Amino acid sequence: MKTGAPESASAGVRRRPLIAAAGSALALAPFAARAATSLHVTVAYYSAATGPYFQQMAKAFEAANPGITVKIDVVNWDTLLQTLQTDISGGVTPDLSIIGTRWLLTFVKDGVAEPLDHFMTPQFRDRFIGTFLEPAEIGGKVYGLPIAASARAMFYNKDMLTKAGFPDGPKTWDDVVAAARKIKAAGGYGFGLQGKAIETDVYWYYALWSYGGELIDKDGKAAFDSPAGIKALTLYQTMVKEGLTQPGVTDYTREDVQNLFKQGRVGMMITAPFLINQIAAEAPKLQYGICPVPRGTTSATYAVTDSIVMFSNSRAKDAAWKFLDFLFTKNPRVTFSKNEGFLPTTKAEAADPYFADNKQLQIFVSLLPEARFAPTIPGWEGMAQAVTDAVQSVYLGKADPAAALKLASTKADQALKGD
Amino acid sequence: MIENHHTSSENRKRLPGIAIAPAGEMRARPRIPRALVPWLLIGPSLVLAVVVIFYPFVEIVQLSLHDVSPFGIVRGFVGFANYARTLDDPVFQATVLRTLEWTVAVVGGTVIISMPVALVLAQDFHGRGLARTLILLPWSMSLAMAAIVWLWAFNGNYGMVNSILEGAGLIAKPLQWMARAETAFPVEIGVGILVSIPFTVTIFLGGLASIPGEIYEAAWIDGAGALAQFRWMTLPLMRPFVTIAVVLNMIYVFNSFPIIWVMTEGGPDNSTHILVTYLYELAFRIGRPGLAAAVSVAMLAIVLVFSFAYLRLAEREAT
Repeated sequence: MKTGAPESASAGVRRRPLIAAAGSALALAPFAARAATSLHVTVAYYSAATGPYFQQMAKAFEAANPGITVKIDVVNWDTLLQTLQTDISGGVTPDLSIIGTRWLLTFVKDGVAEPLDHFMTPQFRDRFIGTFLEPAEIGGKVYGLPIAASARAMFYNKDMLTKAGFPDGPKTWDDVVAAARKIKAAGGYGFGLQGKAIETDVYWYYALWSYGGELIDKDGKAAFDSPAGIKALTLYQTMVKEGLTQPGVTDYTREDVQNLFKQGRVGMMITAPFLINQIAAEAPKLQYGICPVPRGTTSATYAVTDSIVMFSNSRAKDAAWKFLDFLFTKNPRVTFSKNEGFLPTTKAEAADPYFADNKQLQIFVSLLPEARFAPTIPGWEGMAQAVTDAVQSVYLGKADPAAALKLASTKADQALKGD
Repeated sequence: MIENHHTSSENRKRLPGIAIAPAGEMRARPRIPRALVPWLLIGPSLVLAVVVIFYPFVEIVQLSLHDVSPFGIVRGFVGFANYARTLDDPVFQATVLRTLEWTVAVVGGTVIISMPVALVLAQDFHGRGLARTLILLPWSMSLAMAAIVWLWAFNGNYGMVNSILEGAGLIAKPLQWMARAETAFPVEIGVGILVSIPFTVTIFLGGLASIPGEIYEAAWIDGAGALAQFRWMTLPLMRPFVTIAVVLNMIYVFNSFPIIWVMTEGGPDNSTHILVTYLYELAFRIGRPGLAAAVSVAMLAIVLVFSFAYLRLAEREAT
């Protein structure tokens, strides 16, 4: 408080002589304390740059909006759900928070998220690339703004793939298997397969979708126990059995596979654009290319957005909206997406030379028309767990694809039914 | 326990205390009825216990009887539906068995290893202080940190364990320790034992220090060898300390979260879950606090049953 009051006062009376400023700060202190609005913002930790970025934004915003102070809390993704659970059940929510867009439906059902339509002018809405705003629309209302977006594509090691006869990367899953066999013969790991922790299920969805499979049917029931699903899982099973993946896949998180890729030990893997930044920082000499997720019978990829939402029991909604408005102007957006290696979510950002002229990122952008978003359905997490268990049991050689998917489908239906 | 109460209340009659001081000195003070004194003395800690233990307990039971949203909003009363679903879940059943396996293996292993370690450290030898410090030092490390270090050591690609085994010619190619429960779970049990040793050795050292040295001298003169001394003197005299070590370790180990969560997150395919990691996953990964609360009540019941059973057993053996 002691430091907060003079700071906000001095921002307003910047030009006055020092003594007068001090005097007025003293005089104003009780008044300022009452008038000052303080915003609590919870942000997810994406990288070491996340915290400093939001602190900087908060400072810039405070300078432009005297009387509003912004407090930023950086929370790890792993514990974000837990943190919000504690906040919400205790009734002490922040004003704004970053969340996984798929949680939004539960937020809306529980009545904790504030619809943003009454704040949004048509011009504001027009700032966004439409695809990215859609996932946060529920029942015709927008509840969240896309703060981060990514799509997935295949990264391949140029040296390894050139030697294997696919200098431009594999086009189909058959290419992947053929290339992986050659890479294996040369002593490397062909296809990096994630088999542990969050998104183990997603790594299999890539193949599922590329064979024309669906996760959920129109009635909201699990639909992955299908010929396409079995085909996709059999593909991965064969690669594990043949030793075309890294050994012990069930001990590899996405980050572990990425590390193998950075070390030049794995030929191909599917992941998000942020690996570009990591390679630039940690393995700048690595020769790699990016190509679409391999085709089965069709092509598909996975896209994810994270949303920033306003809580309905916020006591500073107008100030919170002002802060959102500020975050979604061009420069803050460009800095954020550049720092974190995400895709632009606003048009102004996409037009910035950094994105417009970036060939690697353009590959991801070009995949967006056929991208699947995590559907905003209740029970997503439960289904993800059921699928993760199923694919792990297959990778371990404990179950065959058909039986594993059947079991997972039953469990997923149960999860989808409840929430 | 009951006998202890008797002796302590008998002792108290003889001890000069606040309320039962000789009457002549404190005539002016209002007298507190004797029956009230114990209650006044334990009152503050009783209140604290009620606040710290009963409030969360009631809250957990409440949650377990309701449908709770992933973000903690209580939606409606569902009776015992959460319990029914939990008991019905094959993952839960397998996890209960694995939790018992884990507890018995870690506590058993810890006690078996700690006893000789404590016996050695109780001897007077050159550098004993250093040896004691080394054994007890790991205690100061957080469990999560210890688990991370061991996770690195057992890493399939660059782990120290693989390179030692390969160097010694014991394995031909690196083992992926954490990829399968068959190797991952024993490793986790091993880490569990290692981190439980310092505490257990401390209890045993305290116990050994309480045994007077003269009786060993007497036994030695009577011709009892080291083994006979251990079997017929040390072990029986150490029994209360072993009991304490077993009960406390059982409760800690049964509820121990960090090792398994850090090393395998209960996976792959739920094959290394114990109840506490399973309930964490239910509550904070899958977003089902109601189910998680039911699991946690079940855990409490299991711990209580086992602790009582063990204490009864130990009491019967002692008499």
